[in-house]
Amino acid sequence: MSSREKILANIKANKPAAVAVPVIPAFEGDGSLTRFKTVLEGIGGRAIEVATLPDCQAVINTYYADLKNVSSALVRASIPINADTPKAILEQTDLAVIQGEIGVAENGAIWVPEANMLNRALPFITQHLVLVLAKKNVVANMHEAYKRLGSPGSYGAFIAGPSKTADIEQALVIGAHGARSMMVILYGE
Amino acid sequence: MNHPALAEKFNSDYNRTTWHDETLWFVRQKRDRAIYPIPEFQELRQLASQIKDHTLSNLDTYLLEFEKNAQQNGVHVHWAADGDEHNRIVLDIISNAASVKGKTGPVRMVKSKSMLTEECHLNPFLQKNGIEVVDTDLGERIVQFRNEPPSHIVMPAIHLKKEDVGETFHQHLGTPKGEKDPQALTEAARQHLRQKFVEADVALTGVNFAVAETGSFVVCTNEGNADLGVNLAKVHIACMGMEKLIPKIEHLSVFIRLLARSATGQPVTTYTSHFTKPAKGKEMHIVIVDNGRTQQLGRADFRNSLKCIRCGACMNTCPVYRRSGGHSYDFTVPGPIGAILSPNIDLHKYSTLPFASTLCGSCSDVCPVKIDIHVQLYKWRQVVAKENELPLSKKWGMKGLAKMLAMPKVYDLGGKLARGALRVLPHGITHAQSLNPWAKARELPDAPSQSFKEWYSKNQKGKS
Repeated sequence: MSSREKILANIKANKPAAVAVPVIPAFEGDGSLTRFKTVLEGIGGRAIEVATLPDCQAVINTYYADLKNVSSALVRASIPINADTPKAILEQTDLAVIQGEIGVAENGAIWVPEANMLNRALPFITQHLVLVLAKKNVVANMHEAYKRLGSPGSYGAFIAGPSKTADIEQALVIGAHGARSMMVILYGE
Repeated sequence: MNHPALAEKFNSDYNRTTWHDETLWFVRQKRDRAIYPIPEFQELRQLASQIKDHTLSNLDTYLLEFEKNAQQNGVHVHWAADGDEHNRIVLDIISNAASVKGKTGPVRMVKSKSMLTEECHLNPFLQKNGIEVVDTDLGERIVQFRNEPPSHIVMPAIHLKKEDVGETFHQHLGTPKGEKDPQALTEAARQHLRQKFVEADVALTGVNFAVAETGSFVVCTNEGNADLGVNLAKVHIACMGMEKLIPKIEHLSVFIRLLARSATGQPVTTYTSHFTKPAKGKEMHIVIVDNGRTQQLGRADFRNSLKCIRCGACMNTCPVYRRSGGHSYDFTVPGPIGAILSPNIDLHKYSTLPFASTLCGSCSDVCPVKIDIHVQLYKWRQVVAKENELPLSKKWGMKGLAKMLAMPKVYDLGGKLARGALRVLPHGITHAQSLNPWAKARELPDAPSQSFKEWYSKNQKGKS
């Protein structure tokens, strides 16, 4: 008997009597932009509001003028990145500006699917990360976020603030392995 | 060594013990601040517990559903009955990977946090077989440099002070002697590990949640090390205990809301990554591991322990863990949850762990999936006694006490003698640590002049 069969047989023999799956109520909450921004700032992120998507360029010009290697499909990019870009190029990214799909007010997380990432490694290997999000796509909590999401697709991540660690004496340090800073540009109504 | 002996060693440094205690209590307080603003938090715990109950009662069918969907997504699924088989499977995957075959020079693997691979002792096995293994979670990298096991499942280096880390990094990464600033030390690790990420052939991650309906799995980190490793290497191996399964994507919402709040008091981890299909031209493998879990599933009193989502909240709140340190448990998962998981693996070796508790119940109060941890600790004690694994002093002490309590006259006399003795004997004898370990850090109260029974019969005389 293979391990697979053995494990399945053991489960069958040992599992308890069937228990029904609970129904998850429609939990509501504060899905306001204010709460989203407050929580995001609490976890080390930064939020900037603009009127329209093209206004993002001005924000990048203002805050990231010193960064040379920018990759993005939304603003002016200086290094082209796609799924086949070699590691040596990816590694040089100073700033990635990527479209986010859903923002979650209760925890400041933003859903970024693979299709928006240019390369799966980009949101993580870039030194600084900017996510661009339509204000209308902010929801109250994770229940609403997953409902909107439907399927997680091939690969995707909720990203909440910059990379961080507290592994040395519980001292919070921003910029562990991933992005050293993280900004969200909110646009639209 | 057993828990009391290892705990005593830890306690020999009074200041450090106090510091450890306070540091973990600080994390517990952060947890409280993170959950109080969520009005439905208790309801979420109940839901999480029910979802896990439901999944465990249909675990075979959900595993098959998960396997089928994962395979349809182009993911290879492997099954391991125990730790040894798990390790062999991982080595086989690495050796047979198209991107590794024929490679000259060392095969390099980066790992993000996986308590399961600690449980299976994967690192030494792979290293013996010529694979370079680098733990990339900062805390895990620190303990890997020091050749120590993690002392906490979420904060692996919580037993170390920044001076210790500074010295370790000075030796291994060449940071200046005496450098102890967490910011500077983290930056040194970042530079060192970026190189490792870029060089790696294979990336291994744990699994926080696996979703049957889509064949996806979710990995949660704050540092971003899982995604960096996986997305730069050609091969991704994800190792999961079979109890990590949940039925549907909608159930993730409940667990994601609970996990980070319970673990570190954050509203969510920085990265909550959902892996479903491998990237073009890359390999993705999932290893489903039993290693004693089906046996635990068959123990009605203890199967609840399989609901654990490894948040570590029970450790942060436990008065015994906080004052004895993770290494005193000498098991992959320390703290209250480890003390109910370990006897299933080896009752003899871990027979003292169910006693590493005051049974105060704080662990059960904070558990996000409502495991009745303190009740199970109490039940394991019965099993330990029944299996004759109690130390002799405790065994005969209990037997003697049981006899005495069954004979009221002897009990009355014993009480009288003890009260008398406490009054006349010198402190050096009543508190002699060899005779009375209870008095190691405690003072006995003054002996009362009469027993409660005597007081009661005197005061109730003549009353109805």
